[in-house]
Amino acid sequence: MRSFSEYNPIAVTVWFFSVTGIAMFSSYPLLMVMSLVGGAVFFTVRNGFSRGREHIFFWVLFLILALANPLISHNGKTVLFVMNHNPVTLEAALYGLNSAAMIVGVLYWFRSFTQIMTSEKLLYVTGALSPKLSLILSMALRFVPLFSRQSAKINSAQKAMGLYKDDNIIDDIKGKSRVFSILVTWALENGIITADSMEARGFGTHRRTQLRRFGFRAADIALLAASLALLGVTAAAVGSGSLDFMFYPSVSTAVPDKLGKAGLIAYGALIMLPIIIETEVSLRWRYLRSGI
Amino acid sequence: MLLIRNKELRNAIKIAVPFVIIPSVTILGALAFDEKKHIIVSLAVAVFSLLLFAAGFEKKSTGTRRMVIVAVMTALCFAGRFIPFLKPIAALTIITALYLGGEAGFLVGALSAVLSNFYFGQGPWTAFQMLAWGLIGLFAGIFSEKLLKSRVLLLLYGAATGIAYSFIMDIWTVLWYNQGFSLKLYLAALASAVPYTASYAVSNVLFLYLLAKPFGEKLERIKTKYGV
Repeated sequence: MRSFSEYNPIAVTVWFFSVTGIAMFSSYPLLMVMSLVGGAVFFTVRNGFSRGREHIFFWVLFLILALANPLISHNGKTVLFVMNHNPVTLEAALYGLNSAAMIVGVLYWFRSFTQIMTSEKLLYVTGALSPKLSLILSMALRFVPLFSRQSAKINSAQKAMGLYKDDNIIDDIKGKSRVFSILVTWALENGIITADSMEARGFGTHRRTQLRRFGFRAADIALLAASLALLGVTAAAVGSGSLDFMFYPSVSTAVPDKLGKAGLIAYGALIMLPIIIETEVSLRWRYLRSGI
Repeated sequence: MLLIRNKELRNAIKIAVPFVIIPSVTILGALAFDEKKHIIVSLAVAVFSLLLFAAGFEKKSTGTRRMVIVAVMTALCFAGRFIPFLKPIAALTIITALYLGGEAGFLVGALSAVLSNFYFGQGPWTAFQMLAWGLIGLFAGIFSEKLLKSRVLLLLYGAATGIAYSFIMDIWTVLWYNQGFSLKLYLAALASAVPYTASYAVSNVLFLYLLAKPFGEKLERIKTKYGV
């Protein structure tokens, strides 16, 4: 019994890329609406109503993107009105709205993805792809706070020596660049020492192990399999053209056949997966608590 | 890449992959799909080339010291991205490439894109950013002899890559918005991105002017002292 973010990172990553991949590569309006609504709901469910600024940013961006297309592109049959001798068409407006829904939807998904995939999980995923790159990433992550601590130390040492003043801008910049220069020299030397110490402890003689172990449990495999299967159905529907949608010259769509309908349902189910998991977890919690 | 012992052949492959194989994938993809799906092809190419590079790097035996130096430079780039208005990532990537070679430059550029995007927003554009910054480093490594000799050339390279970076990222913006490429939208995107383009070019020139020499001395010193 785990919440969605505690599932195996590989399964979670596959699920995320299935959702965003379909949203990015299809232009079927219903899919876009599903992705946008799903992304916004998922983000809100995870964060409550605390992230007002991000919501405002996303929706302002949505407006800008939706309005940009009809002002730049003048394709389409149905002219709504003429502005500066350029026709503004219904088709271009709808196209802009569709693109905006796609982009803002994907932005919402990726914001949640960044929250769920902590650096530790990222290292687990990249470690599966390339252990060496994952090592460099993890070291770089560790260096950032280390460097900021060290630069504070250098700063106070410089101050104690009377070399660091911030009375005026030029002196300030000079002092800061001196601190930076010392920091870089120290960082490179320290890096060499770290490397030597790593080698002395047997780095590279064995496979590298992870700080935290993420096993593949039955639920992870189920999530992975469900994501891939639903992705397969949706991708087949998108790829075969059952979910084609033409904006230009005039809005036209094929009535979705069986495959198209299956694709729509599959994509809906794909988006619902974490919500199903979370609901199941909270229901079971309630049930267990009621037994106490 | 480890399997190929012949140095010239290895270099030939190094050049063939980015210049021949990847463009042909692009063209084939553009022919196979209709033009509305340029976004798939472009993203596939970006991810493909990054994976290719990762695989090559994985196979090669790289010294631990070299890897740690790359991590140090990546961390510095990452920290540098917090400076308002100015962006030192490309400049630091170029400096690394000049002294440690194109591969190290590619790594520093690409990895600082992934890392810093955990703070600045991860998205499908990460692949493009990785590739753009990585290539800036890779080319700096390839032309390192000439760039090291002449400071003017180095600053010109910095300005050119700053502009090129913005141009490449705007191609992505248009593809994402429109799925297919549209020149009109591209020009509009370029026009709206002028302040960013200017800031990239200016910060590249500024940071290369300020940092190339002192950083070079430090890296050179580490290289001779420890033989990285």
